[in-house]
Amino acid sequence: MMESFAEINWRLFAIVTLNGLTLASLYFIVASGFSLIFGLMRVVNMAHGSLYLLGAYVGFEVTEATESWLLGILAAGVVVAAAGAALQVSILSWMQGQDLRQALATIGVSIVAADLMLAHWGGSAYQITLPTAMSSFVPVPVAGRYAMARLMLIGFALLIGVGLWLMLNRTRLGMVIRAGVDDRRMLEATGVNVPLVFVGVFAIGASLAGMAGVIGGTVLSVSPGEDARYLLSSLIVVIVGGMGSIPGAAIGALLVAMAETYGLAYTPTYGIVYTFAIMVAVLAVRPQGLLGRSA
Amino acid sequence: MANDPLLKVEDLHVYYGASHVLHGVTLEAGTEPLSIVGRNGMGKSTLCQAIMGLVPSARGTVHLGGERISGRRAYKVARAGVGYVPQGRRVFPSLTVDEHLRLVGKPDGEWTVERIYETFPRLAERRKNGGGALSGGEQQMLAISRALLLNPRLLVMDEPTEGLAPVIVDHVVEVLREIGRSGVGLLLVEQNLTVATEVSERIMVMMNGGIALETNADALLNDRALRNRYLGVSAEA
Repeated sequence: MMESFAEINWRLFAIVTLNGLTLASLYFIVASGFSLIFGLMRVVNMAHGSLYLLGAYVGFEVTEATESWLLGILAAGVVVAAAGAALQVSILSWMQGQDLRQALATIGVSIVAADLMLAHWGGSAYQITLPTAMSSFVPVPVAGRYAMARLMLIGFALLIGVGLWLMLNRTRLGMVIRAGVDDRRMLEATGVNVPLVFVGVFAIGASLAGMAGVIGGTVLSVSPGEDARYLLSSLIVVIVGGMGSIPGAAIGALLVAMAETYGLAYTPTYGIVYTFAIMVAVLAVRPQGLLGRSA
Repeated sequence: MANDPLLKVEDLHVYYGASHVLHGVTLEAGTEPLSIVGRNGMGKSTLCQAIMGLVPSARGTVHLGGERISGRRAYKVARAGVGYVPQGRRVFPSLTVDEHLRLVGKPDGEWTVERIYETFPRLAERRKNGGGALSGGEQQMLAISRALLLNPRLLVMDEPTEGLAPVIVDHVVEVLREIGRSGVGLLLVEQNLTVATEVSERIMVMMNGGIALETNADALLNDRALRNRYLGVSAEA
């Protein structure tokens, strides 16, 4: 071990670190929507991965048809927001307050959605194409060259993080959401139309998953099974970071993605173990998550 | 419509699962304050929540000024003109004092955020503090302000003096009497008989999920036997 420590490959290390940050950005965007929904409505949305995959497919179709990546991500955001709102209105609002029933219903939705998407888009993997301006490589210190698209993904995640923070702390909707996270019933007793707020927040959370799908489908790929993968990562991220906390989702995404990436690069055999080791450690020491509030 | 009482509750029944909590409550209240007293577990808080639409009622109706409000969601009841000050105050820990007020406050109407700050200077001093960082008395002022900013026709208050220091209780009583004089209806649920009798002349006693007795402040304070029978407490307690 000592000699390998001496001749450590800094270039590889830098690239792995950037890969980790890219993955963390993707995890953050997906998980922040998941966490937002859970924080306000206490719904563990097991169909969140399906919303991610639906966004990826919609983004793929629109980008192919219009040759505009931007239109693709916008369309995915809008379509998936509508799908999320429909899920809340048509299914979840009928079982408000029954957490387990809601979780089971969303599992049902995710199974149906996975088969419908498989029937329509088939089993092959797609990649969403970037405009040529963004598909270049840029020079980065130590790492040498790195894909522009991946760096932009990191920037996009930061933008979403700042945007969510501003929304929660500087707008009336954010005020309503924070009050609702504290005490939904009391919020309603002050005259706020809480059912409508629920639909709105579900749409925002779903839209984040949908846009993440387009980004994931661009830097990685789109294929069946990605829904389960991103649902699992979202669950782990919010368990580590704290259910309902956006900064928690950022920290959780960073920890989980870094552990996964370093693990796969340096100890490939045990790569997947680290993620769960982090989760177990957090659950043992701080069951509500790093930034979570105890229930 | 003009002759309809401000609040009219008729034969209201509420169940929590299999347990029958309200057994046909019937009462009427106008703009003069009304206090409801009773021992723990007699259904007083449930009555407040049922009026507010926070728990579903199995049978019976609630009307506000002739308009039926039972069976509606809580936000519609609030918008119809019922302000709710819940037991335990339930201020939002994640919101500052100022955010609480701006959440509910409207630029027009009798109560505005500015008027709240004039009425409760203590809240103005603490406007940037989070709801969880306030003392019990300050939280109570905030909970009352939050309800007043709806410009309600009726305020439903569930044990507003619970757990407060005596000097703060006096202040709350003062505020409640002020609200009562301003023409806003007041339905006050209290364990503290002194508070109930200071705020309202008209008193109802709840027992086993129903209104057992309607009386007045003097009768309740002067009749030890009556108090023992219905409340099992003395006025000094």
